[in-house]
Amino acid sequence: MDTELLLGIGRFLLATTLLLLLTVPTAFVIIQMELKVIARMNLRLGPNRVGPGGLFQSTIHGFKVLAKEDTIPDQADNTTFTLAPWMVYMAAAMSMIVMPFAPGAIAADFSIGIVYFFAVIGLSVVGLLVAGWASYNKYSLLGGLRSAAQMVSYEIPLTLSVVGAVVLAGTLSFSELIGWQREHGWLFIWQPVGLVIFYIASLAEINRTPFDMIEADSELVAGPFTEYSGMRFGFFFFAEYVALFIMSGILISLFFGGWLAPWPFPAQLDGFAGTLWGILWFFLKTYIFVFVAVWLRATLPRVRVDQLMGMAWKVMLPIALVNLFITAIVVVVFDL
Amino acid sequence: MTTTERPQPIPDPIDLDRAEEARLRTAAGLSLSVTQRRGEYAGFEDIGLPDRPPQTEREAEVYTLDEGEMLLNMGPQHPSTHGVMRLVVKLRGEVIVDIDPVLGYLHRGIEKLCENATYTTVMTYVDPMDYLAVMHNEHAPAMAFEKLYGIEAPKRAEYIRALVVELERVASHGLMMGFLSLDMGGLTPILYAFINRDEVVDLLSAISGQRMLFNFFRIGGVNWDVNDEFLSRLGTWRSHVLKNIEMNEHLITDNEIFRGRTIGMGVLSGRDAIALGVSGPNLRASGVAFDVRKAHPYSIYRELEFDLITQESGDVYARYLQRIAEIKQSIHLIDQIIDRMPHGPVQAQVPGIVRPRPGRAYAAVESPRGLYSVYAISDGGPTPYRFRMRDPSFISLQALPKLMPGHLVADTMAVMASFDPVMGGVDK
Repeated sequence: MDTELLLGIGRFLLATTLLLLLTVPTAFVIIQMELKVIARMNLRLGPNRVGPGGLFQSTIHGFKVLAKEDTIPDQADNTTFTLAPWMVYMAAAMSMIVMPFAPGAIAADFSIGIVYFFAVIGLSVVGLLVAGWASYNKYSLLGGLRSAAQMVSYEIPLTLSVVGAVVLAGTLSFSELIGWQREHGWLFIWQPVGLVIFYIASLAEINRTPFDMIEADSELVAGPFTEYSGMRFGFFFFAEYVALFIMSGILISLFFGGWLAPWPFPAQLDGFAGTLWGILWFFLKTYIFVFVAVWLRATLPRVRVDQLMGMAWKVMLPIALVNLFITAIVVVVFDL
Repeated sequence: MTTTERPQPIPDPIDLDRAEEARLRTAAGLSLSVTQRRGEYAGFEDIGLPDRPPQTEREAEVYTLDEGEMLLNMGPQHPSTHGVMRLVVKLRGEVIVDIDPVLGYLHRGIEKLCENATYTTVMTYVDPMDYLAVMHNEHAPAMAFEKLYGIEAPKRAEYIRALVVELERVASHGLMMGFLSLDMGGLTPILYAFINRDEVVDLLSAISGQRMLFNFFRIGGVNWDVNDEFLSRLGTWRSHVLKNIEMNEHLITDNEIFRGRTIGMGVLSGRDAIALGVSGPNLRASGVAFDVRKAHPYSIYRELEFDLITQESGDVYARYLQRIAEIKQSIHLIDQIIDRMPHGPVQAQVPGIVRPRPGRAYAAVESPRGLYSVYAISDGGPTPYRFRMRDPSFISLQALPKLMPGHLVADTMAVMASFDPVMGGVDK
């Protein structure tokens, strides 16, 4: 084997390890944010006992989940029951490989990164369906089937909303897409309809309020997670928040210039400084959208399952198709 | 030669229980319990079926499954069944085919307790029934017993009664807004509602000394006169209560998701509502203008002016709007009561332990959940011979099996919350 291949493998292993390690603080930060932000919006104080201002509450939650007994229901299907949390978590973690954090800070800069991302993030539905079926619980079963229906339906408008941007930029690679945005302006100016559809569909794809009918605590107790406890439940929980982070990150990469600063200063920062500068802006913008998702959770009630499906097929899919059609015509006519 | 006897292994009590249960079941001619049927997914549809022949026609109807149907057991431990309500839901996919409310998980035998208590101590037993309308719970027995004794409460006592009762109505209706939203997944309104309720509870604890089970009403009056703390808190509360309610309304009323999930949902026609005995705001939301305070004025309601509001559609949204309208009417009533409250004693002269003359008395009040009434029979002894309470939330739950078929699982909780049942009152 030549050294280049070995170096490539080493780089990939390092990057994936770093990404897997990144998921843990990300989940903790977002859970903490959700605890505190929703508390403030509810006119509560929120957790304020663990650490300064309750800063370590979510960390304690994590340790609590680790320490809890891991139960498997008597009649559950053992193999699939234990595999399901892993499937959901890995779907989220694997999609992070193409996350464009900063110039030079992408684990794998595929030329088809966007296709890879949508292919992998959709895999979590398998885990949820398996969890719902293997639990031997009717609530889990209903939740699992809902997840299949919801996520498969919303994948279509989600993907179609991005095709417009892809047609405009003429690339499927995240870094090239961001490079295009550096020259032509951020894509939300070009694709406002695509942005709206992408945002709504992404909330449905990662089961956030108002589309969280998979868990639907007031109807289905906890959906597919009802029978899970201990760290298995923790993995579902982690995956959910990591998915929120990923979706926000992909959203800003597609429509808000990714790692680009909102003004053209400094025009060219190269090397390590450029990477740090990019990471700063990436995380700043991502957490703005994470905040918006938390804000929505505090504000909105849940959509009913038939309304949700009706919206996907009757409203969002046609709009996404029209958007794509118009974009394609514009690209051809004006030769962009 | 000594033989060392191995000690007998101590049997697991759970195994003993299983063996005992199996023996008893075989003796009674019943099937073995579900836990012993293991294996593949066979028997998935059996869980939830009672393992005895159906006792009534209705039970046979609910528990007989057609192809493609399954039973889902919601409650008594479920995040949103308002306490310990249990619903057996027959589903076809996610569509409800039939629903069977199973009651009694919070039964405390309050009627029987009251029949073994003297007339004055009955007031303490009725408190924990409808725990969101405790003052109303006490109001009806107080009126009934006053009829038995042939005494009348002083005018000032009647005004204080009406005041605390209307305060409690505002708190209870405010909570309903929050719970309805919570059952649809909205997290915030319930906390805003509890802020409002907490202020009312503080008010009532200032006048009665307790926060939840007030024990404030007495036969022939009330326990305490209004005091400075109560009045100053009342002024503060009155200055911002409408603002607080509106803040909650902004989150809920015009929310497109909320409207989409409530308008046209769980429509109860006026005719059906009357036939089922539904009363109170739920009845008025179906367009029937019946309010005990107007139809059979008690206490001082004849002297106060307030509108009898009704809605037309009778759906979940109408029941929600009806609550908000009634909150505003109650605040209007509170203003009038404060303006007109006369001076005087708050307790009529009643001898210590009295035995009322034999007879019967009936008293009905308009509680936040509807017509709450008490029927007491005296045989001349120190305790009531019979003491019967009609709890409105128990009656409103009758409407669920009528309304739910055809809706989705997600709507069960919304429709149930719109009737605002309190399980303490349902199970008594």
